[in-house]
Amino acid sequence: MITLDQVQSASATFLQEKWGDGVEVTNIEKIFGGASRETYRLSLLVDGEKRGVILRRDPPSSLIDTERELEFGAYARIYPTDIPVPEPLFLVNDKKYLEQPFSVMGAIDNCQTDVSLLSVQQKDKLGTQKYTLLGKLAAKNPLDLRFDELLPVPDLNRCAIEQLTYWQGVINDDEIHPQPIAQAAIRWLHKNLPAAAQKLAIVHGDYRTGNFLFNDEAEITAVLDWEMCHLGDPLEDLAWSLDPLWSWEEPHLAGRLIPVEKAIELWKESSGLECAPQNLHWWRVFVALKAIAIWISSSENFEKGESKDSILAMAGWVMTDRQSRILLGYLVPKEAIV
Amino acid sequence: MIPNTDDALRMLSQRLMTQLLPDLRSTYSLSDGALIGLLMNAIADETAEGINRRLEDLKEMRQIFDSATSLLNDEQKADIANTVESYRLADVNKLHDAYTRVLIDVHGRCESDENMQTLNNQIWAYLQRHAERHTIRGMP
Repeated sequence: MITLDQVQSASATFLQEKWGDGVEVTNIEKIFGGASRETYRLSLLVDGEKRGVILRRDPPSSLIDTERELEFGAYARIYPTDIPVPEPLFLVNDKKYLEQPFSVMGAIDNCQTDVSLLSVQQKDKLGTQKYTLLGKLAAKNPLDLRFDELLPVPDLNRCAIEQLTYWQGVINDDEIHPQPIAQAAIRWLHKNLPAAAQKLAIVHGDYRTGNFLFNDEAEITAVLDWEMCHLGDPLEDLAWSLDPLWSWEEPHLAGRLIPVEKAIELWKESSGLECAPQNLHWWRVFVALKAIAIWISSSENFEKGESKDSILAMAGWVMTDRQSRILLGYLVPKEAIV
Repeated sequence: MIPNTDDALRMLSQRLMTQLLPDLRSTYSLSDGALIGLLMNAIADETAEGINRRLEDLKEMRQIFDSATSLLNDEQKADIANTVESYRLADVNKLHDAYTRVLIDVHGRCESDENMQTLNNQIWAYLQRHAERHTIRGMP
């Protein structure tokens, strides 16, 4: 296990190689919650000027088996657009510095992710931006941004089945105990595949409250965590953002911010796309299953001892429980409700 | 001997969160410790009730299989003929997994058959009670 002092020292060496001897790492802090990467905030002096960077280091195990190149590549392609993301600086696959690959991005100061203490007005402002931005992302042509150099390009009529097949495989490979609710969902999803995607979209893959930064004026300053980014149906991101798990105590709200109906209208207006209820419903069932797959993977990592991060245990146990109940809400026939 | 292990875990969790964590300087360790404290509370509940919850599941699944004997093959019949070897968690889990695999198969075969909707609804009802039984309380 690498210590905080080791990260500070090695990152100073690396940054001096890149930016010269005038770089000093004056403070380092490990950030809690980034289950897919170890995340550190570094305060720097660069030739006497203060600057902050975020360093994300691959752990031996993570919630999601992702490629760091994908995440960094997504940041690099989105950074010049009107979707705010941190500035991507370095992607380092060489393990000589920190024993694992890592990436470095510009830090965004004076920002937060927790919406729980915001006023209703602030939540409305944030929610409006959140769904307007998501609509803008959905409207973009991924090929214009060279995402086809980074990611496979699915046929529009295969976006759903390819995603379902992938995440079904994760569940079957990683489950520690058989999952009767998830298996019922898999069968339902196969029998009720949605219409072809109306366009090819950049799908963030984890667009939810908690994965964007905002400032004191309740303005979104960066959308984070692009590691599950892929090309596919734009409804997938909308459905993921609306999952009741992200608004557990207030399921009528989208991500604890604004009513679900308003979120959908904002997305439609901003993207110029349609949102057929039956297609959105399929994607909502799918994202609940995808989430279960992620939580099951985290359980497997925790159980096998690949990582003893408490957030993996939390995800693998509590989130699987809640997500299974969400699926029941979608799937139980009326006559079988107890 | 600690007679009530679940209470002991709850007390230790409380001590961790109210007396030890406030002395930590690192916000990372503070957040990690708080999550561990919450998980300890959930584990305390599981320690007290986990075996019983699984036994209730097994009892209900057996009732479902009694209504579905015509759907079961010989291997499945042998699986559900087994009973718990002991009340060790590992043994109870092993049987629970075996029963659940049979349940998944039966569910998949009856859900699309109009003549088996009573059985289908019986399984959905069980899944709802199972989820409710295993709900993890007291988590944010």
